[in-house]
Formats: sequence, C-alpha cells, structure tokens
Amino acid sequence: MVKIAVYPPNSLILADLIERKGHTPLVLQKQIRQKIKDPEIDSPPMNITEDDPIKGLKYAAIEVPSGVRGRMAIIGPIIDEAEAAIVVDGAPYGFGCIGCARTNELSIFLLRNKDIPVLELNYPTNQDETYLMVNQVNEFVDSLEETDKEEE
Amino acid sequence: MSQNLTMSPDLGTEDWDPDVITRMIFIGPGAHVSEQEIVTAFHMLDLPLTIKNTCYGSMISGKSEDVYKAIKEIRKLDPNHIFTKERGFAPGDPRRCRGHRFGPREGFHQMEKEYRILGFVANALENPKDVEIEEKKPVSVDEFKKIMNDCLDNKE
Repeated sequence: MVKIAVYPPNSLILADLIERKGHTPLVLQKQIRQKIKDPEIDSPPMNITEDDPIKGLKYAAIEVPSGVRGRMAIIGPIIDEAEAAIVVDGAPYGFGCIGCARTNELSIFLLRNKDIPVLELNYPTNQDETYLMVNQVNEFVDSLEETDKEEE
Repeated sequence: MSQNLTMSPDLGTEDWDPDVITRMIFIGPGAHVSEQEIVTAFHMLDLPLTIKNTCYGSMISGKSEDVYKAIKEIRKLDPNHIFTKERGFAPGDPRRCRGHRFGPREGFHQMEKEYRILGFVANALENPKDVEIEEKKPVSVDEFKKIMNDCLDNKE
C-alpha cells in the first residue's frame, strides 16, 4: 500500500481512483479532521492558531506571508508523508480548496522536488480527455504496485 | 454579515473522538441506484452509523472500522457509479452546515466542478478503452509565411 498525495488535496475523483486500487490517498480532509478534533483548541470555530505560522516555517521562509505559512502547517505533513504524487495542472479558476495561488505553487514545487514518482495530468474538459486521465492514473498506480513488490 | 459568522458548536463525545470519521458518498450521473436506495441499504447493514440523505448521495459518520465496512458493501450496488470522499466535519456541524448560515457550503464549488466530469469518469471505469488525443500545435513560422504570401499574391 502506497501513500499517494493528490493535488488539489480535496479531490474526489483522484482520491476515489486511488482507493479503488487499494492505496491510501493523502487528502486535506483528514488533516482538517485532526485539527478540529484536537482538544487543545480552546475556541473550536477558530481552528487556526498562532502556532500554525510557526510550524509553517519548516516549509517557507520567514518573509513569506503568514497566510501561506499557516496553510503550509496543514498541507506540509501531507507532503512529508507522500510516497508518490498526482498533480492536476490547468484547472479552471476556483478549482481546489487552498484559496491561495502561492501556496499551490509552493506545494507543487515541494512535491516535484521530493524525489518521489509524480504524475502530472491536464484537467480534462471532454470525454476523451477524461478517459485518458483515468487510464494514466490507473497505469501510474499499477506501476507503483510493481515497484513496491520489487522492493519487498 | 453577522449571520454568516460561525457559531461555537456544542460538541459531544463523538465529535471529539479521533476514531470517528465522516465520508461522503456521491452517486455519479447515469447510476443504477438512487440516493434513497443507498440510504436504505446503509440502514439495512445494521451498523452503528449516523446516516444523512443528501442531494448528491449520502453522508455517513461513525467509527472508522464500521464506515469502511459499510462503504465496501455499498460499492457493490453499483461499483462504477458510486464514489466516496473523506469529510473533515461531522454531518450537521454548525461550522459547515448550511442550515445555520447563508451561502454555499465550503467545498461545494469543488464538488460542483468535479460532478461535471464524474459521468465521464464512470464511463471510463465501466468501459475502459485506450484513447489518443492529438495535441494542438501552433502553426510553424514557415507555413504562416507561405499562407500570408499566398493571401497577398491573391489580393494583387
């Protein structure tokens, strides 16, 4: 079983395709769940604390806006844990859950630099492109299975 | 805008339990089952779950072991058209639920965009086939010059 990071990190289609093959998708919702179930948070509606921008320093420099660092405190552990990644490029405006273009760029940069297999896809707009995307994801996930077996 | 501010939720023991998870079940276009059938099937499993009927399918919450068991069973109804996804907040949590505030729920826009291609994904899973897509390339400079000269010659 391989832990695969997906980008956008809340994607239904990518996470579902990975789960169908028996692997674990690393999605943002799990991170958020950890965050809201944390008993150390005093006032539950405010789930971002002052510690988050400090945690984000592991991924971004001090000059980087605190919004990026705060977001990286949640997305960063996904990147650390990832053993492979699937990234969707060329998505329309408003696609994804981050709400910050710089965080998106930084996260994709860190995933590409991490020396793990990365599959980059184009956002599909019609039936043929969707077929191609599904085939590419399935082939990529199968190739991970093979390397996993070889290592064992 | 004060109505839009999230209220402090009254959290129960289940809300603080890290082992309790929530998952959303989506029914893709062209599915052979309805939302109600899915909810009834969940009830018939007789597992200790909170089940919510929604417009896109349903939402279930409970101990992770029970949730995964239920999803495994429910997928058998229509494996190619039932999709599932994690959700951070429990069903009806006032920080996300639209019943307590205005505007679309966070995450709705992503869901709306992905739902548009969900039917194609279901088709691709049902009838897998190899496709080749021709990439659109820009016109080469030489060809462009030739067309331009032809047009100019014709004009004269």
